[in-house]
Amino acid sequence: MPWLRTVAAYAAVFALALTINFALPRIAPGDPLSFLLPEDVLAEMTPEDEARVLAEFGLDRPIPVQFADYAAGIVTGDLGVSVTYGAPVWDVVIGRLPWTLLLMGWALALSTILGTALGVMAARRRGEMGDIGATVLVLAVGSAPVFWVAMLLITLFAANLGWLPSYGAVPLMAREGSAEWILGVAQRTILPVTALTIAQTAGVWLTARASMAVALSRDYVTFARAKGVPERGVFWRHALRNAILPIYTNATIGLGGLLGGALVVETVFSWPGIGQLVVQGVEARDYNLLQGVFLVATLAVIAANLLADLTYPLLDPRVRR
Amino acid sequence: MTLLRTLCFLSIISAGNAAAQSLSPGESGNQVEPARFVSATNNNGPTEADRLTLGMWVTAGNVTTYTIGNSWNDWVLWLVYDKLREPSPYVGNSQDWLATRIEQISDDARVWEIELREGVRWHDGRPFTAEDVAFTFEYYREGPPNRWTHHASSVPRMVGIEVVDEMTVRLTAENPMPNFDRITAADLPIIQRAQWEGVEAPREFAEIGIGTGPYRLVEYEADRFYRFEANDDYWRGAPVVKNLDLVMIKDPQTMFTALKTGEIDGAARPVPPELVLEWQDEPDLEMISAPTLWGAWLHLNEQVPPFDDRDLRRAVTLAVDPAPMLDRIMLGQGKPGTHAWPHVDSFWTDPDLTAPYDPAEAAGILEAKGYIDTDGDGMREGPDGTAFTLDMKIASNQPLFLRAAEMVSAQLAEVGLRTDVESIDPASLAALWRGGDFQMRIADITPHGIADQDMMIILYRGDIRREPTVDEEKAEIVERWLAAETREDRLAVSYELQRYQTEYPNRVMLWYPESTFAYRWEAFDNYVPSAGYGIFHKYSFLPESAREGVADPMIPPGN
Repeated sequence: MPWLRTVAAYAAVFALALTINFALPRIAPGDPLSFLLPEDVLAEMTPEDEARVLAEFGLDRPIPVQFADYAAGIVTGDLGVSVTYGAPVWDVVIGRLPWTLLLMGWALALSTILGTALGVMAARRRGEMGDIGATVLVLAVGSAPVFWVAMLLITLFAANLGWLPSYGAVPLMAREGSAEWILGVAQRTILPVTALTIAQTAGVWLTARASMAVALSRDYVTFARAKGVPERGVFWRHALRNAILPIYTNATIGLGGLLGGALVVETVFSWPGIGQLVVQGVEARDYNLLQGVFLVATLAVIAANLLADLTYPLLDPRVRR
Repeated sequence: MTLLRTLCFLSIISAGNAAAQSLSPGESGNQVEPARFVSATNNNGPTEADRLTLGMWVTAGNVTTYTIGNSWNDWVLWLVYDKLREPSPYVGNSQDWLATRIEQISDDARVWEIELREGVRWHDGRPFTAEDVAFTFEYYREGPPNRWTHHASSVPRMVGIEVVDEMTVRLTAENPMPNFDRITAADLPIIQRAQWEGVEAPREFAEIGIGTGPYRLVEYEADRFYRFEANDDYWRGAPVVKNLDLVMIKDPQTMFTALKTGEIDGAARPVPPELVLEWQDEPDLEMISAPTLWGAWLHLNEQVPPFDDRDLRRAVTLAVDPAPMLDRIMLGQGKPGTHAWPHVDSFWTDPDLTAPYDPAEAAGILEAKGYIDTDGDGMREGPDGTAFTLDMKIASNQPLFLRAAEMVSAQLAEVGLRTDVESIDPASLAALWRGGDFQMRIADITPHGIADQDMMIILYRGDIRREPTVDEEKAEIVERWLAAETREDRLAVSYELQRYQTEYPNRVMLWYPESTFAYRWEAFDNYVPSAGYGIFHKYSFLPESAREGVADPMIPPGN
């Protein structure tokens, strides 16, 4: 029963990931105390005082007890209270998910479409001046730090030209759902999506270009040409259909990363997504919050992989056998 | 107009001189400098506003004393809460606020009586009474610690909290508290008994805080935005700004871009030194340099070798010259740390305090202690002849401190001390600090730590508790400070402690920054400075009559 083996494998991965999610925040030096209290207050606190504050969040208990609570919470849906927000972790995370999906979804879609189209075109003209120029350009832009790209976009389009807002996701004064609100969200989405798309397109472009180049050099392409298939047919039906597999794999893995948020871009644009929660969680050593965010990210990655496993046979008949 | 400005300026200066000549008991004569208008043009914008949007950068939780704990965002708390006296413990002349009389009852300054203002109401309509004040002290003494609980549980520690009648409270402390009215009363936010009674885990308490202050919090998402609306029944006068929206923008460049583009009306964080110069002629913006009483210091860890030896601490102090750091790092915006700890402008700072810079004497101390360059590479080896390197840690989110670390490192190299500078994430650095696992670090210090005299003792007691070998001389001065029964005695012992600290420091002041704040004058042009808070605080949003005694003077443009 191969499906049973697959389910068991995913369950094992999930259990391992949960353990790592629990351990990682605690391995980092420090605890939430330094966030909760300023240094001049901590200076005189006795260990008993410190334990008293940690006890408010259940962090004074032995690690195995904390882990048992965490595991039970995953089953019951109670992920604890965030030190930073003073609210249930689940509520905080759920509140951020739509914004991260909006940002990352657009960026994934645009970078996949753009990167694939440009990469495939470059492969067709491989070795020509246009291809070489595009390679240099894409690699240069793609290797620029995303925070720098984001700041350039803000400087150009917000500060100098004044075309677009520089921060946030919503116009605060507009009624939620109104035309003004929707327009405001759309305007605020453009710059962060552009920054992420620029950062992600290079990877897709390289994958598409390489896999298309490999496909074009395969025997079946030579055979198709020998058969007299027109060049357009060779390119689109024979080469691209085979080259699409690695691109599809990249995209489905990217789907898994959707819920992980974009730490840097969300911080620069004050975008209220999951990435900001991670930054805040790390700064404050907010264990419950980090566990909650990592749990969602883990589930998303596993789900995306499962989706890839299930849909791959539809694209590649060899896998069905 | 120029003549008027000059007259205003001269009157401010002469008022300062007059104040210096007629000092109250317990004051040193040091004064907070007047704020300064920095922009080239002073426009006449509106003095009232229906709505203002301000950028903030540190989350304030649900705006309670348990979710706000730093001087980065305590101004948000003060929108909602009031104190017995205001504006702050950083100035010697705070005014009665929720109290109408605070009187020392016993000769030994252990017993004080507080008479409260009648007619004040909480945001939920309940009357403010002595029960609330007594409860605040009891809760802070017995409950989980926060930034303000030391006023009831430590310095000073209350041993008697008595409700005399509906509007009178009597407090008795373990030790004398001759400055209770100046410090505790001017720092402790009063919380509502009805809301907090029975709350055992205040950091998990999710309700919106109820205060008596000029603004009510009506909606928030902790790290996205806060909406406040004016409390038009505020006992000191209805606020002139009816709605305040605070938006969280963590990235400094994004925040200042948003200010420039008009997306926000003010940025509640100091403008970086280089931007101050660039924005002086910006037509839409105005800037005010206002005293925030912050500082940057080099912390020498007396818990570990070699700084458990106070002579080594002295040697390092003598080798560090803070003067050039101000020019190179802060572009001259501030004061050099040559005046040592506490803040140079604090009213209880010894006016004659000076941290000496003498590399030759530093070298002499190092020689005497056995730190000698034995291999001729220009760097000293330790007393046992092995290589000797001091580690210096800085937080990775503090680029100015990286520059400071490089300068300190170069200065220490001049006397033959090798340093290893490491930049690490702030939470990890905090963990190292709490564990005492470092030799040197550069950090900033808020007015609470550098301009509040009770906190100086709290920090010293913390140091003494952590030191492997108790420094009897220092511990003895601290004990005498705690026993001092008058303001004059407290000040005299405080001077002793300051001089001791200057001679054998564990915290070497590097600079006191000048904090410049920017706003869009067309949105609102009625900000006032208040020492320790800058210009973004509740007093800026109160009517003129309500600001008396809590707003500081400002030097007009062109002076």
